[in-house]
Amino acid sequence: MDYRLLVLPLALAGASCIQDEALNTEADIERVTLQGDALNREAEFGDAVYGTDGTAFYPITLYVKKGTDITRLAPELELTAGATVEPPSGTPRNFRTPQLYTVTSEDGQWQRRYRIEVSSTSAIGTFYHFEDVRLGGNGKYHIFYETDDEGKERLAWASANPGYALTDYTIQTPELFPTYQWAEGKSGKCVKLVTRKTGSLGSSVNMPIASGNLFLGTFNVGNALKNALTATQFGLQYEKVPTYLHGWYKYRSGETFYELDKTAKDKLKPIPGRKDIFNIYAVLYENTEDNRLLDGTNVLDEDNEQIVSTAVISDAHETDEWTEFDLPFVYRPGKTIDPVKLAAGGYNLTIVFASSLRGDYFEGAPGSTLLVDEVELGYEP
Amino acid sequence: MNKTRNMKRRIATAFLLAVTGAGTALHAQQDRNQTLVRSEAYGLEYEIKAGINVGGASPLPLPEEIRALTGYSPNINLAIEGDLVKWWGERRKWGVIVGVRLENKGMEAKARTKNYSMEIIGDGGERMKGNWTGRVQTKYRSSLVSVPLLAAWRASDRVRVSAGPYLSIQTSGDFSGYVYDGYLREGDPTGNKVNFEGESTAPYDFSDDLRTLQWGVQAGVTWRAFKHLNVHADLSWGLNDIFQKDFQTITFAMYPIYVNIGFGYAF
Repeated sequence: MDYRLLVLPLALAGASCIQDEALNTEADIERVTLQGDALNREAEFGDAVYGTDGTAFYPITLYVKKGTDITRLAPELELTAGATVEPPSGTPRNFRTPQLYTVTSEDGQWQRRYRIEVSSTSAIGTFYHFEDVRLGGNGKYHIFYETDDEGKERLAWASANPGYALTDYTIQTPELFPTYQWAEGKSGKCVKLVTRKTGSLGSSVNMPIASGNLFLGTFNVGNALKNALTATQFGLQYEKVPTYLHGWYKYRSGETFYELDKTAKDKLKPIPGRKDIFNIYAVLYENTEDNRLLDGTNVLDEDNEQIVSTAVISDAHETDEWTEFDLPFVYRPGKTIDPVKLAAGGYNLTIVFASSLRGDYFEGAPGSTLLVDEVELGYEP
Repeated sequence: MNKTRNMKRRIATAFLLAVTGAGTALHAQQDRNQTLVRSEAYGLEYEIKAGINVGGASPLPLPEEIRALTGYSPNINLAIEGDLVKWWGERRKWGVIVGVRLENKGMEAKARTKNYSMEIIGDGGERMKGNWTGRVQTKYRSSLVSVPLLAAWRASDRVRVSAGPYLSIQTSGDFSGYVYDGYLREGDPTGNKVNFEGESTAPYDFSDDLRTLQWGVQAGVTWRAFKHLNVHADLSWGLNDIFQKDFQTITFAMYPIYVNIGFGYAF
């Protein structure tokens, strides 16, 4: 009576046929290098920039050593397996103006456009008025940027908005994100940072709270759910000696302060009586070979060897009036700035604003609101 | 909570009905001279059986997004069933079986996917959409009341072959799991790449999206080992998706395919 056993292998055979692997659909530039040692640091990958027609390009900035001939550079592009790029990797081009590249996936169905820009000097300026924003995330949230003398964008601020966008793609209004532009600034518009709950999907990955933040650096959304502290990559090249960070703020703590509680359903544990507080700081640090960028894990570490000087707010408090902050850069013990290395682009600077001091550890009070405006970065002439 | 209790009550009622049916049969047996003989004269037989369900819910064929099945556990799924068989003709060659079956269908499976389009909806209506390349762990467990209606054919004195449709009502179900060790392309393959590594996982729970009314076909063989003891093997093949029609997260239909092996008592 063996035939009754035949049905089992038949069923399993029917269910276990793995089809041939489909061609890759991704179209990424994964890495950019230049021949020789022209690159001063790893290429910077930015958040997508959307045109009015909805098409996007992904900005990449290459910082090259001073004296590099940028009229004839041939970037070597590493792509997703099977993808192709137009013009091809290694094509010499004139980078006096940014150059566009189009990557097509292996299956030919998908494309990503990149814009590679080459620079040898820092884009960090002196004054920040927060008057200029464009839309990121396909029109969902604000990206603050700074302009040059001709009014062209020279520098984009980073925020964790791309991470927040992941928790619910139906949020389409910039004012519902943690970081956005606000009409009532000290002068003109300002930046508004609001600590928010991330909802059930954010909580399901143990990230129940998102602090509003704005910083000089890049937000690596690839790390946002893996290790959020490493997603905030702080610092851009800076070639001056910073002396102070000055500006204005307003702050109101949210109602209930929460700590992360992985055992709770919403991953939140209320801490009655505790007030939230914000943070404003700037850090100058050495761009060393083995650890170029500082991130949320180490940017304020007391014993980090890369850090040269910091300017950190010490009297942060709740206020409904525009309140001045004036933070001198204080050198870490024994640290000095090497002028040669400074001129060669060997130092990074970051400026950070956050509506919850402990927001990077998912602690804070939803509703905590920090307004910042008219910021000035002082430096030695 | 109330829903669960109602379901439990429904199961209990169905169970009672089955037992009462069996009880009636038992009662009939005590009066062998009358009822059973009369039953035999009408070509009626009664049977109760118990078995285990081994199988899984699977898309057919496997979509190309599934690159490997890396783990599978059938779990222990019990089934109990009461059957009524009616034979026709002088030689009692052909008949019909109708029954009530209380059963669980379940499995745990691990798979590796490439570019698998998915959308997760959170408790508060939050939505996350994208293409997942990486690992997926799934747990499926469903409790069902099933009614098979089968044609029976007596192949020999000891062997009975049966086949026909069945209808199932799911009384409770769980379909949940998590994704890990991979990456999501937000929105589509050109969207942001979001990595999951190590301890970072994203759970999902589609239990509420399981379909209540399921149907399919089954076919099997029953072998009379002793006068009253049967051994059986049945393949049941679901013909509608275990998920509701408007459920889009899993882009392909999944069909429950199970083999039930067990024994029964024929009165």
